[in-house]
Amino acid sequence: MTDKYTQFVSRGIGKDVAKKLGLPQPVVLRRYQPGQALVPGPILVQGSSDGADELAAALLAWDLDVRRHAVPREKLGAIVLVLDELDHAEDLERPVLSAAASLRDLAPNARVVTVSRTPASAPGPASAAARQGIDGLLRSLAKELRAGATANGIMLADGVNTTSPSALGALRFFLSGRSAFVDGQFLTVASGEGQLPADPEKPLAGKVAVVTGAARGIGAAIARTLHRDGATVVVVDIPAAGDHLAAVANSVRGTALQLDISREDAGHRIIEHAVGRHGRLDIVIHNAGITRDKLLANMDQGRWNSVLAVNIAAQLRINDALLASRDFRDSPRIVSVASTSGIAGNRGQTNYAASKGGVIGMVRATAPLLAERHGSINAVAPGFIETEMTARIPFATREVARRLNSLQQGGQPGDVAEAIAFLASDAAGGITGEVLRVCGQNLVGA
Amino acid sequence: MSFTGQSATGPEESSTAAAATPGGGLLRQAVVVGGNRIPFARTGGAYTKSSNQDMLTAALDGLIARFGLADERIGEVAAGAVLKHSRDFNLTREAVLGSALSAETPAYDLQQACATGLETVLGLANKIKLGQIDSGIAGGVDSASDAPIAVSEGLREVLLDLNRAKTLPQRLKVLGRLRPKDLAPDAPNTGEPRTGLSMGEHQALTTAQWKITREAQDQLAYTSHRNLAAAYDAGFFDDLLTPYRGLNRDSNLRADTTLEKLATLKPVFGRNLGAEATMTAGNSTPLTDGASTVLLASEEWADAHELPKLATVVDGEAAAVDFVHGKDGLLMAPAFAVPRLLARNGLTLDDIDFFEIHEAFAGTVLSTLAAWEDEEFGRTRLGLDGALGSVDRSKLNVNGSSLAAGHPFAATGGRIVASLAKMLHERGHVDGRPARGLISICAAGGQGVVAILEAF
Amino acid sequence: MTGAQPVILGDMPSLSKLYVNAAATAARRRVLGTDAGISLPPCGHEVRGVLAEVGNLTAFQHLVGETASDVLPAGFIHALAFPVAMSVMNRDDFPLPLLGMVHLKNTVEQHGTILFTEALDITSWAENLRGHRAGTQVDIVAQVRRTGESEVLWKGTSTYLAKGVFLPGIDKPSAPPAPTTFSAPDPTALWQLGVDTGRAYAAVSGDFNPIHLSVLSARALGMRRSIAHGMYLASRALADVGAVKGDSFRWDVAFEGPVFLPARVALDISSVDSLSGAWRHSDYTAWNPRSGRRHFSGSVSAL
Repeated sequence: MTDKYTQFVSRGIGKDVAKKLGLPQPVVLRRYQPGQALVPGPILVQGSSDGADELAAALLAWDLDVRRHAVPREKLGAIVLVLDELDHAEDLERPVLSAAASLRDLAPNARVVTVSRTPASAPGPASAAARQGIDGLLRSLAKELRAGATANGIMLADGVNTTSPSALGALRFFLSGRSAFVDGQFLTVASGEGQLPADPEKPLAGKVAVVTGAARGIGAAIARTLHRDGATVVVVDIPAAGDHLAAVANSVRGTALQLDISREDAGHRIIEHAVGRHGRLDIVIHNAGITRDKLLANMDQGRWNSVLAVNIAAQLRINDALLASRDFRDSPRIVSVASTSGIAGNRGQTNYAASKGGVIGMVRATAPLLAERHGSINAVAPGFIETEMTARIPFATREVARRLNSLQQGGQPGDVAEAIAFLASDAAGGITGEVLRVCGQNLVGA
Repeated sequence: MSFTGQSATGPEESSTAAAATPGGGLLRQAVVVGGNRIPFARTGGAYTKSSNQDMLTAALDGLIARFGLADERIGEVAAGAVLKHSRDFNLTREAVLGSALSAETPAYDLQQACATGLETVLGLANKIKLGQIDSGIAGGVDSASDAPIAVSEGLREVLLDLNRAKTLPQRLKVLGRLRPKDLAPDAPNTGEPRTGLSMGEHQALTTAQWKITREAQDQLAYTSHRNLAAAYDAGFFDDLLTPYRGLNRDSNLRADTTLEKLATLKPVFGRNLGAEATMTAGNSTPLTDGASTVLLASEEWADAHELPKLATVVDGEAAAVDFVHGKDGLLMAPAFAVPRLLARNGLTLDDIDFFEIHEAFAGTVLSTLAAWEDEEFGRTRLGLDGALGSVDRSKLNVNGSSLAAGHPFAATGGRIVASLAKMLHERGHVDGRPARGLISICAAGGQGVVAILEAF
Repeated sequence: MTGAQPVILGDMPSLSKLYVNAAATAARRRVLGTDAGISLPPCGHEVRGVLAEVGNLTAFQHLVGETASDVLPAGFIHALAFPVAMSVMNRDDFPLPLLGMVHLKNTVEQHGTILFTEALDITSWAENLRGHRAGTQVDIVAQVRRTGESEVLWKGTSTYLAKGVFLPGIDKPSAPPAPTTFSAPDPTALWQLGVDTGRAYAAVSGDFNPIHLSVLSARALGMRRSIAHGMYLASRALADVGAVKGDSFRWDVAFEGPVFLPARVALDISSVDSLSGAWRHSDYTAWNPRSGRRHFSGSVSAL
């Protein structure tokens, strides 16, 4: 799974050589396995607010080893920096610097998670500065961490507690191996919606999920992850990919639906299949997408239209059908796969970036439409992911692309799938209209 | 010519009355849930190196994926192949073991030449109706590319005797019998063992006997290609087919063929048989590789698994003709089976909404239709007052058939049953009754198997 | 049978010896000009207690397309009786040269089944010496009974022509029969006969007549290529008629053009039933599909 270079520099002579030469030293990331400990050591909860106390108590209730003060030389699994009551940028100093003293004690693949409030809802410029300051702080810290450790942040809307379901859900996601390739990112919890799962290992138990573009790559990984988390999975792909699709369906004990999602009736067909075969429909993952790269100067109508039709128009049409359906009303979840290209742009991908930017716009605008049914819609934007598609990139280009992030390696399809599985869970109900990048904090873009 | 015919009236007992099962209950319905096949490939094409077991497993896995049957224990799986290696003695069970089905699913092989696929459907449907099983997968597969090649009789006997020989001198003596000509392999052929005539030559005789013109045959072939291409374009096969080995469509399909192109082809059958040769590569099915499967179930099983119920398997009938002694054409058995089946069910050709007549050759279909329209055939051979009747051509093979799709012998029945079940389900009701379809498949050895399906 | 009691032979005659002897006799007659006379031998030959060899029977059945049952096919019995018939034609007092005789037609009446386990008495004699526009013809009759029983279960009459042999006192028929025109019907079967067809039948029938064995041996006897055994062809046709003929039947075949090997032979086999649906007879005709020339025709009919 991990690329050969990462394997080489992770141990033995390769490790020494890389160190001496100052070569990138990617590590084998801690990825989620059922039954695995949430973090590789005790959790230090920094912060003096009520929210910090409540959060520490909640973590204790999860049977975790929680510290409110650092113990010298003790290796830490995570630092949770609770900064929910800042009025002024000066308030950052104490908690941040005391956390800084513990950074050297972080175990490999440890986590730093900040919990703060959204700048947009700040009561005044000073508090907005403090809140926005955390953004820059966190992203910089993420770049400073080594050995597979990541830093991510949770931003709470005003009125949302540090222990609201989605705050805890997002914290659990960031602490766990599920977020291995998510680094330097924020998730905003907009409301107290959502519900923590009865069994954290089966967060999708009882759910029926549809994954488009599931015949291979990221889509297949999403199907497998949703199945592992307890969902009944319907895998969808174009009829021409039916053989691979069948193999995925059978491996996740689900059903295959051969369907071109750009057909007019695709949404109807998806609902009909899910409800007809499995009795309900809770989750739709818009993963299907195509690329037809060409510089804009050389772009033709066919390349432009096909990419826009599949990557955004089809999602919009299917969402219309879902929103109109009586069978998609019980806290439904939609997660779309966007792309860092849609955020930061990519040479030769004007059509693709337009479509993926479109996905982000669509997600933000659709979120309010799902609110009254307690639904949510979010996007995940993968960076460099090791797939059959990226394997076709020329070696040198690929080698550069996969190192251009804080974790100095490409992500796995499963990393994208983990983020999607989290956003599709009940625990993420308070998170909507968000775009979560799964890119190892790619240097390109936001 | 004989003057005695095969009576079109069935036995006195009527099948319409519900009969008691061994378990004491009434006969249940057997429903077609759906089907799956791999695209059919012309011999020597995409599946050249794929074995029967490979292809049957692929077709099964696609079916399992479509209906969420992974790890499911199915009542029974029945399938077969016409061209079969000796190593494939347990072909279907081996395919089941290689599939995503529960390894506790039993299976058996069946072989009735080109009727194999339809006969597996009828056999399993009967078991479901009787309450012996609740679910079944019927199917068939054939590879003309990966066909078995036998050693010559001479070499075979030497090898068997060699195996029996106990001492070195005995073995040397046995080996001494071997002659160079014994080393030439014995390839399978489609010739009828009792007549030495190939199937095409037999059909050429029948085609000439019924005075079927070249133009009529080419027209049927053209319509088959056009209908199949339209069905693909409409997405009809999206939930009937799973790609295999890079193939998404039947490789024999020529969507752009024209009557003019078909008219240029030279006759390939019947050139040495006296009559005018009219049968070409265009209006005959090519040798093809492929596999198909059909999921059958009781209503209760389908409901419990939240699966669709497309159609019911109403009834089936087999017939055979004495082609050895020139009484009837080799592939004319369905001409007798259909009238008997219709009579037993109190139906006429007018009560059928879809006709699926397997296109072994265009001449086969047209000869059968001609026989049904023939007064004398109706009177002397079918024991009717006159002709059986005409088939409305707009109801015939509306989504194409074997001339366009190809015909991997044992796989054709499953292809037709699954497609017809879907068409019936889409049509729903006609004049207040369920839409009804008739399947007719001719087979080597002068046999034919036919069946009636109704929309559920 | 009329005339004298048959000569009882101690053993089944060896066909190969008979062919060698026939060749020697032919040579002697050519050199010495001796004449066997103009009348048929006064007595026939009989071999008693003949048993079919089961391996040979199976090979015969497979070759002609019969199921390998315990019942001797009518053609197999012909082969079984053939050495006895040959021994009659090999007698010094037989008036016609054995080698080069042409099998014109054959009639068999089968009156019941004979199993391979049953010992048989086989009697053969010559009769009905008569003229033919091309020479002289004779009937060789063979009868088969179970050993010690009098009921004839199988009777075969083979008509042979000695081409170009005209015996004094035997008239030619007054006029040759009007040539019948033959137009080939639609075939019901097409046989592919390999070049080794003659050797294969020789191996199961024991009839190693050189004209059937190879191109060379056939050329030695004036044929351009080897030809298929007539009784092989007729036995295949009989097998194709199938089980409908029952245990008792009459089987006729008339040979016309020889089948030069290898060959494709077209056949028409059709059955005629009575109005009540009972089988009456099956007729067969075989011809060369290329030239349209007839090879043989015949029928199997209810007795």
